Amino acid sequence: MLTGLSYREKILYASLAAELVVYCPYFFLHQQNSVNKVASMIVAIIVLQIILQSVIAAVTRYRVTDERDRLIELRGYRAGYLALASLMVLGLGMLWFHATVGHLRLDSKMVGLHFLSVFFGMLIIADITKTVT
Amino acid sequence: MAAIRNQIRELRALREMTQQELADKIGVTRQTVIAMEQDKYSPSLETAFKVAIVLDVSLEQCFQYDPRGKR
Repeated sequence: MLTGLSYREKILYASLAAELVVYCPYFFLHQQNSVNKVASMIVAIIVLQIILQSVIAAVTRYRVTDERDRLIELRGYRAGYLALASLMVLGLGMLWFHATVGHLRLDSKMVGLHFLSVFFGMLIIADITKTVT
Repeated sequence: MAAIRNQIRELRALREMTQQELADKIGVTRQTVIAMEQDKYSPSLETAFKVAIVLDVSLEQCFQYDPRGKR
């Protein structure tokens, strides 16, 4: 299946896979956020991306990127950006709603981490949108 | 049906050229040649000229524009 994909497409799928592998345990296993967990998640993504991209670069014979790859990338980034921007507004709106109507106290130390979780969640949805577009 | 159609597959077969050989000569990936042959991708003007030059035909012999086709 992977042999039919261009170098650029393989890199995109690898990037998405790395994010899913790191974000899923973050969202589903860690109920309590902490600065250390967020920092280790960011480091894990960077390390995993470097490893995956190195492996793909090593096993791919033709590493040419052409006009079609650039077009695919541009379309993906446009869709990803639109998804991220719209979800960011929605996420911030929800945080504000919970702070005013709900029980979330915005002066709490955890607000920054709540915001980061919302941001990472949107980032992964935007990345999925970018890759499937 | 695509707005821009082409005869790349037929012309390439006449010259017994593989998709990879054509891709290397015009500086694109094999996936792009496949997409062009299946009318799934309309190349840039520069790439279209390169294809016509490599296949030794005029641009009109290689690419046709159908105004009723979807873009």
